[in-house]
Amino acid sequence: MTDIQADLARPLATAQTPAKTRRQRETFTVAPWAYLAPALILLFVWTYIPLVEAFQLSFYQWNMLPTAPQRYVGLKNYERLMALPEMRNALWNTLYYILGLFPMSVIIPLFVAIWTQDLTGRARMIYRGLIFVPMIVAPVVAAILWRWLLNEDQGLITLWLEQMGLGRIGFLTDPNYALATLTWITGWKLIGFSTLLFSAANAGINPSYIEAARIDGASRWGIIRDIRLPLLSPTILLLSMMTILFGAQWSFAYINVLTNGGPLKSTTNIFYLLWEYGFQTMSAGWSSAAGMIAFAGFAVVAAGCMWLTRRFAVYDN
Amino acid sequence: MTIDASPDISQGHPPLASSASNMGSLRCLAVHAVMVLLSILSIFPIYWMIVTSLRPENEIFSTAFWPASPTLENYVFVLTRIPMLQMLANTTIVAAATAALQVVTGLFAAYALVRWRMRLSGVIHGLIALSWLVPFQVTMIPNYVLASRLGLLDTLTGLILPNASHAFAVLLLYHAMRSFPTEILEAARIDGARSWKILWQIVTPNMGAPIASLSIIAFISAWNEYFWPLLLSRKPENSVVQIGLQMFMTQEGNLWGPLMAAAALASLPILLIYLILQRHVIESFMKSGIR
Repeated sequence: MTDIQADLARPLATAQTPAKTRRQRETFTVAPWAYLAPALILLFVWTYIPLVEAFQLSFYQWNMLPTAPQRYVGLKNYERLMALPEMRNALWNTLYYILGLFPMSVIIPLFVAIWTQDLTGRARMIYRGLIFVPMIVAPVVAAILWRWLLNEDQGLITLWLEQMGLGRIGFLTDPNYALATLTWITGWKLIGFSTLLFSAANAGINPSYIEAARIDGASRWGIIRDIRLPLLSPTILLLSMMTILFGAQWSFAYINVLTNGGPLKSTTNIFYLLWEYGFQTMSAGWSSAAGMIAFAGFAVVAAGCMWLTRRFAVYDN
Repeated sequence: MTIDASPDISQGHPPLASSASNMGSLRCLAVHAVMVLLSILSIFPIYWMIVTSLRPENEIFSTAFWPASPTLENYVFVLTRIPMLQMLANTTIVAAATAALQVVTGLFAAYALVRWRMRLSGVIHGLIALSWLVPFQVTMIPNYVLASRLGLLDTLTGLILPNASHAFAVLLLYHAMRSFPTEILEAARIDGARSWKILWQIVTPNMGAPIASLSIIAFISAWNEYFWPLLLSRKPENSVVQIGLQMFMTQEGNLWGPLMAAAALASLPILLIYLILQRHVIESFMKSGIR
């Protein structure tokens, strides 16, 4: 509410004519900060200060009870984590989630968008309206829907598979399948949306390039490879970056609702491990240390992605 | 979003015309097949949720695509078993308040960055943008400790407050405002209009589209939010519908009819918004990338 106060103060300031110029300069420096205050205060209180606190906590041992003391342990938390097979397992699983998402968040949508570019009119609008829907479905709802469809006893897909003579698959209970199932659910929410993003970018390509290439005798595939893909590269890189940076985070709700990281830790990724250390085993130090490792890792990856985007994205201008 | 300039293969190549149009109709069929498949994949799980929620108990494992005798008993069961209406009301409050606060804090911050060229503008812009990259799981313990110190556990305020400002909101409005003609701002300033007045009477009325986009996205994201409520909530009647669903699933996980009815009730408001504002919702999400 500081901005309201600042603004209320201003009429008084301008009323005093002799000091006007000096006052004006003064308000000119205060006003922007007053406007920035709500966003910046919230940001610092809920993101940046906690980030620093988490960094500090990663050198302590603490069981999260307000009365319990925090004991300084130096780098012990990091050393233990590095030695833990759990941590390595979670990091590998994080990688699997991200790689498993790529076909659904980038590759298939890209080719579907190019393949269906000639669609027009009403049909296009209907498909658009339908394939977007998973994007706005709540993760918990998505988890429950797929839990029902894939249920080992009576799920529709299980029954279909059985009718086809493929037997029953423990989609969520078999350690060989659970991670793939959760990746699929995460990807289900994205596939239509990514397709729409690619379609929009693809439709924005200047048709005269395509025309010119065709006159030069370029093949259909040649046009895709030499014109469409390069001009779609900003979207490809954007979606890839989103998948890499946020893919593992998106899967958190599914892990928590459907498998709790099991069976046999096969679906635990780094973000789920953070939550487990923090709120199940109550070891704030471990959770924070693992969080710092993840944050540093993803920050490096983010910087790399941005560099790639600047280096390789082709813009039409 | 105009795709009307669809290059026609047969045009301009008369010798190939007949074979091309043949290939065209086959290709057309294949194109529709791909899209129909993708559409079914997207929508069928939701359809199946609604169908299951309407089945009476003795039909629950049927694979028929429509219940023989549809009933609302599952919905009645959910409404009497858990405080569903209370949770829906809570979620509406949380989502609406979050969206409104993000719009206001976003407008203020974007306005400050656009109107005043400060030496620190770049730094602030960067700080706001970078906060997006901090995974919530990394800051969750300090956030939790802070919330419990402030007495925000198990309250709606606690659910709203940390999300009252978001990098995404500031950036979206910042980019929209940057394209606002500076001459008008300049003219208003010379006329002696105060920044507060310029913001509300000149800038904001012209920000209708981005504000609407932001509100839609913020409302839907807040409605679907799961992680923070999971940490904060204790009692179902003080919580949001996502937590209610998760609790209901843990307790009555194999009562498929009521579970689907609960899931349907939890998604109904969002699906209704989508039905009414379909075009706006899609465009808002597409313009702003993935949140």
